[in-house]
Amino acid sequence: MSEEIVLSIFRGDAAGGQEVEYRVPLTPGMVVLDAVHQVQAHQAQDLAVRWNCKAAHCGSCGAEINGHPKLLCKTRLDDYVGETVHIRPMQTFPIIKDLVADVSWNFEVAKKVPAFQPSVPVPFKMQQFDVDRIQEFHHCIECFLCQDVCHVLRDHNAKDQYFGPRFMVKMAEFEMHPRDGGDRVPMLAHEAGLNMCNVTKCCTEVCPQHIRITDNAIIPLKERVADQYWDPLRALFRKKKAPAATGQSVQG
Amino acid sequence: MEILQHFDVIVVGAGLAGMRAALEIDPDLRVAVVSKVYPVRSHSVAAQGGINAAIDPEDKWQDHAFDTIKGSDYLADQDAAELMCEDAPRVVYEMEHWGTIFSRRPDGRIAQRSFGGQGYPRACYAADKTGRALYQTLFEQSIRRQITVLKEFFVVSIATAHGQVAGVVCIEIRTGTVVGLAAKSVIIATGGAGMMYARTTNPYINSGDGMAMAYRAGVPLKDMEFIQFHPTTLPGMNVLITEGARGEGAYLYNRDHERFMERYAPKLMEVAPRDIVSRAIETEISEGRGFDGDYVLLDLRHLGENIIKHRLSEIYDFALTYKGINPIYEPIPVQPGQHYMMGGIATDKHGATELPGLYAAGECAAVSVHGANRLGANSLLDTLVFGRQAGIQASQFVRKNPGVDFPSADLTRQQDMISRVKAAGRREPYGAIRRELRETMTQYVGTFRDEPRLTKALKTVRALQDRYAEAGIQDQGDVFNYDLLAYIETGFLLDLAEIVTVGALARKESRGAHARIDYPDRDDAQFLRHFLFTPDGRRDEPVVITHYQPKERKY
Ligand SMILES: Cc1cc2nc3c(=O)[nH]c(=O)nc-3n(C[C@H](O)[C@H](O)[C@H](O)COP(=O)(O)OP(=O)(O)OC[C@H]3O[C@@H](n4cnc5c(N)ncnc54)[C@H](O)[C@@H]3O)c2cc1C
Ligand code: SF4
Ligand code: SF4
Ligand code: FES
Repeated sequence: MSEEIVLSIFRGDAAGGQEVEYRVPLTPGMVVLDAVHQVQAHQAQDLAVRWNCKAAHCGSCGAEINGHPKLLCKTRLDDYVGETVHIRPMQTFPIIKDLVADVSWNFEVAKKVPAFQPSVPVPFKMQQFDVDRIQEFHHCIECFLCQDVCHVLRDHNAKDQYFGPRFMVKMAEFEMHPRDGGDRVPMLAHEAGLNMCNVTKCCTEVCPQHIRITDNAIIPLKERVADQYWDPLRALFRKKKAPAATGQSVQG
Repeated sequence: MEILQHFDVIVVGAGLAGMRAALEIDPDLRVAVVSKVYPVRSHSVAAQGGINAAIDPEDKWQDHAFDTIKGSDYLADQDAAELMCEDAPRVVYEMEHWGTIFSRRPDGRIAQRSFGGQGYPRACYAADKTGRALYQTLFEQSIRRQITVLKEFFVVSIATAHGQVAGVVCIEIRTGTVVGLAAKSVIIATGGAGMMYARTTNPYINSGDGMAMAYRAGVPLKDMEFIQFHPTTLPGMNVLITEGARGEGAYLYNRDHERFMERYAPKLMEVAPRDIVSRAIETEISEGRGFDGDYVLLDLRHLGENIIKHRLSEIYDFALTYKGINPIYEPIPVQPGQHYMMGGIATDKHGATELPGLYAAGECAAVSVHGANRLGANSLLDTLVFGRQAGIQASQFVRKNPGVDFPSADLTRQQDMISRVKAAGRREPYGAIRRELRETMTQYVGTFRDEPRLTKALKTVRALQDRYAEAGIQDQGDVFNYDLLAYIETGFLLDLAEIVTVGALARKESRGAHARIDYPDRDDAQFLRHFLFTPDGRRDEPVVITHYQPKERKY
């Protein structure tokens, strides 16, 4: 017969709970979510877990596997043969039931980010070169694993002081849009709490979409804040220069 | 049990269609979007390939309309297809204006790629994240407009009174409470029903809820027998390998290393429409030229590392993660899987159903612009064009109609049903019924159909319905009771599976995605018409023809 894998899954709610062990047969190519489904089908029908696409598209199934924030549907079990696989909900957010955490705080933060403001009428002319770096940010599936791992939010519970890495990615997306006329730098410097980030890069490490959150979003944003607050001349130059680099002209 | 707030418009579904509809509701009206998952988990975000619009000066929207109609095997209503294609350039620029970042041409304009069945490369795309890019934009706009979204509310039925819509009944997932949402108008935008099939590219939430609820409320479902099978999904989990790959120039090979599309569509080859490619692959497999495990190969290698890693990054990531295959060096195994429902809630070309106050848009609706077969990159367009139409209409309806009282007995009925299935769960759980349904549909109501297989499927589905009536759930709790939700979804799927099968049996011809081995030809004399199903039975309607007389569909 095939090998067995031992899962130790957190069962409980806001009032408390503990891990419970389940054994399921291991099949080739199996991901952790498959194993959780086996448990749900045969041993614990009342096990609560969010999932949907099973293809790392929808961002529903974030949890902590042996302490590491991961997507249940993108984590292969063959990496864990011979170990007990501990599965817990994300710890940075309040728990609702079993593996379901209350991630609604993130959507409240989303509401604070000012939307794109077109600086010129459509159709835009833009170079792929300028668009590439923003398209990297489109990969975000809003799983909030980066929010979960970020020590500012997790260990210091500074949710009132820092929007977290996911929203630095979002703000970078707008700030780097060649046709955006908004200015989010004051917000980054104050309310969004960008200075709380001390560039540990833990967020980049856990991102299942391989977005280089720190290098490509956070650091460039920090530079903009530094420019605008400490070097206003350079900031002016940067703003002016941006359209020129796109090869541009506006109308099409 | 409670009746929550009174709204002017309730939009059920927070995918592209629902969000677009909500944005079009007059700002002074009270609107709420209801979704059974967090909005950003909606399936629209998974769309990769693109959105069609004739924006190039060399291209014409009339050509886009013609391609759509021909692709539909002439079952599309031509006035609706024309409305959609003419509106398409506006849609794309509106999205660009709101912040969607499309990929570019060297001269800075929006880039476009080829998709199956299109005579011109007209799919605008945002790398291979088109759905997500569009969705994030609409989501941001919904925030800007401060639209209320009720998250993790599962709608179970449409409430009606005096022959008019009165609101919806839902379950608040977090607490298990049965809640009534009273509204003067309701827009259904609940997406597809892929969960009816074992092999599907659709996610778990696509269980056809809105279609089944409308049907139960007496609203006709149209053209349900037409189900699109996507030719290229990864065997096992059936994750989609975007058509964009073939658009970029990928080849399909059988085990004899033949580019077998030569035999089926010598002109368009790999970029022929989906129904043709799916049937070609199934034929290769059934005639012994596939590989063990029912698949053929999709070869990307000649496209080079740069295109694979940048423009097809998701395929690269999937193949590596789930199959351990690096598409830069190795071809990928692919097989057809259920992908899209052409049929759905019957609406006119402005999204109105037969029930006053009820509108539908997106994949759950059949306008019908896709007819017997949808072309790639036309569905995202459909959601944005007709989502907006439904929003306009619902606003107007609310202005003219005072609304009716919410039937509170509907809430009691729902509560009783929950108690009953909790009690019944100890006898037969519904899980096995759901599995058998999905296997049956994949085996007998798939790419190729014939009378014996369909009859068998119908018998099985009806037997499953009987078992379902006695079945129940095991989770006795209230909070996040997914067992209960899956039970209800299974009921929806069983209703729809029966309609799909009955329609497929009655349609004794082959048209678009509906391929009958026993009736291999299209039969316009008898079947150039829509089938509409209600609980009272079937009724037929003529197809609207404007400029394009039905011709043989050849590529
Ligand atoms: C993998 C994949 C790739 C695709 N790629 C493309 C492409 O490149 N181009 C293209 O044009 N089309 C593509 N399609 C098709 C297209 O993505 C879908 O048809 C389209 O996104 C459907 O959008 P929608 O708004 O109708 O529904 P969805 O996005 O599916 O949204 C449905 C909404 O309804 C809600 N809902 C459902 N039931 C209930 C209920 N009972 N109570 C409350 N809420 C409920 C859900 O929560 C969700 O918010 C693709 C499809 C797949 C499967
Ligand atoms: S780099 Fe910054 S945002 Fe990322 S985890 Fe570290 S502190 Fe948090
Ligand atoms: S940036 Fe990465 S880790 Fe963070 S929410 Fe997006 S996909 Fe998840
Ligand atoms: S189930 Fe969608 S990301 Fe895992």
